[in-house]
Amino acid sequence: MIELYHVWKQYQKAPWALSDVTLTIPKGEFCFVTGPSGSGKSTLMKTLYREIVPTEGQVIIGGRNILRIPDHKIHLVRRHMGIVFQDFRLLPHKRVFENVAIALRVLGASPHDLKRKVFIALRMVNLQSKIWEYPTELSYGEQQRVAIARAVVNNPRILLADEPTGNLDPALAHEIFTLFKEINTQGTTVVICTHDKELIRRFGGRVLTLHEGKLHGKDVG
Amino acid sequence: MTLPKIRYFLREALQNLWRFKARHLFSLTIICLSFVTVGVVLSLSSNLRLRSRELARDLTVVVYLTTGAPAAERDAVEAAVRRSPLVGTVRAIGPDQALERFQAGFPDLRDILRNLGANPFPASVEAGLKDPGAAEDSILAFLADLRKLAGVEDVQFNRDWAAKVRGVGRIVEAAGIFLGGILILASFFIISNVIKLNVLARRSEIEILRLVGATNSFIRLPFLIEGVMMGIAGAAASLLIVLVLVTSFPLYLGGSLGALRELLAFRYLSLPQILGLLGGGALVGFLGSLSSIGRFLKI
Repeated sequence: MIELYHVWKQYQKAPWALSDVTLTIPKGEFCFVTGPSGSGKSTLMKTLYREIVPTEGQVIIGGRNILRIPDHKIHLVRRHMGIVFQDFRLLPHKRVFENVAIALRVLGASPHDLKRKVFIALRMVNLQSKIWEYPTELSYGEQQRVAIARAVVNNPRILLADEPTGNLDPALAHEIFTLFKEINTQGTTVVICTHDKELIRRFGGRVLTLHEGKLHGKDVG
Repeated sequence: MTLPKIRYFLREALQNLWRFKARHLFSLTIICLSFVTVGVVLSLSSNLRLRSRELARDLTVVVYLTTGAPAAERDAVEAAVRRSPLVGTVRAIGPDQALERFQAGFPDLRDILRNLGANPFPASVEAGLKDPGAAEDSILAFLADLRKLAGVEDVQFNRDWAAKVRGVGRIVEAAGIFLGGILILASFFIISNVIKLNVLARRSEIEILRLVGATNSFIRLPFLIEGVMMGIAGAAASLLIVLVLVTSFPLYLGGSLGALRELLAFRYLSLPQILGLLGGGALVGFLGSLSSIGRFLKI
């Protein structure tokens, strides 16, 4: 479960990026965060994995206030999350296998476990045949699928996706959202940040709309 | 730490060394040159120290007799030397024997001796001391007594030689420590900057590692291992170069070294010195990389 209480965020002297945001996302929910550019979507996402610390308010993930966790222990929270970005953030000099395996290596997985889980994750995104290729040899859609495999390889409780289809054409975007929906059906809470209203309409789920840092919630579908 | 993790760190460090090979080669060269300086100085100073110890071990008092001194005076001098409680062994050396010795020690100077015509070497009595470390005063009194004897031209005691060789060894050592210290300091800063460049070049990778839940040590360890590997590789390369120098230098200079050849024996480094240099390389690499990730890798 994700809970935010009266979260405010201001970057230096700019206007409020988040303004008194209070929300609850129950476990296993499929949820969109939408709004125009600069509305605070990415700030909200970064707050969830504590890339940024809010100016005020509390952020509770799985019953723990992540703002009270010391910096050197924040990795323990992130190990239960999978994060997907618009620009994929893959390691270009490492093969697909290594790109996915890295999320398990940090956990100290055994070589056998690591191979098995990476293969399962790549099969889920239908890229098992590209396991020994480099990201630069893949299409954008395939690269994003590798990023999704990396995000889910250690069975996270929460999957956060920040504009995951921003660089993809509508057909590929649909494919990626289908994957997210599948991951959600396995019990993972999925929070997707997007401004693609058509995809939101098609996939349905809870929609949290941000405008100038303020939250306006409504349910769709 | 598990074995797969150790394997992963080593592989990462090696891959990164290879990925940024140009800058690593540069820093490796600097480390190598620094440690070559230290290695040569170590070899030279330890040889000189060893030589001075050898000289001190066979300390002898040499009493040179006046040319044409009568046999009675020679016998009296020899008897006086033998009587001293300080003396262990006594050896009388005739002029011909002294000439032979010189010719054997300095073969290049045979012609000069031939031109002189007559044998310039006097007869002498060599006295080996029982205890080379005996009190300075008693030895000096013994030398003064010998000088007073009839038929004695000069008395030499080679303790000065040993002291001089030891002194030169100390000067070489001090100069080496100074020069090597500066170069090792330069190596430290170069490693530190190379690791800083690596950290900057791998910012996005570090970012990804943080987001997938890597600990600080998981992110930092490959950088530290890289530094240590660079340091060890540089020191190992320097050991090879020192070996080549120590072996080829006497060959290159050949006979022109003369008596110096024996003094500068050009022995290779001892095992503790080799291990010390390798350990020093590892330490410089570790500290250089630690200082860099401490400053530039805020996680």
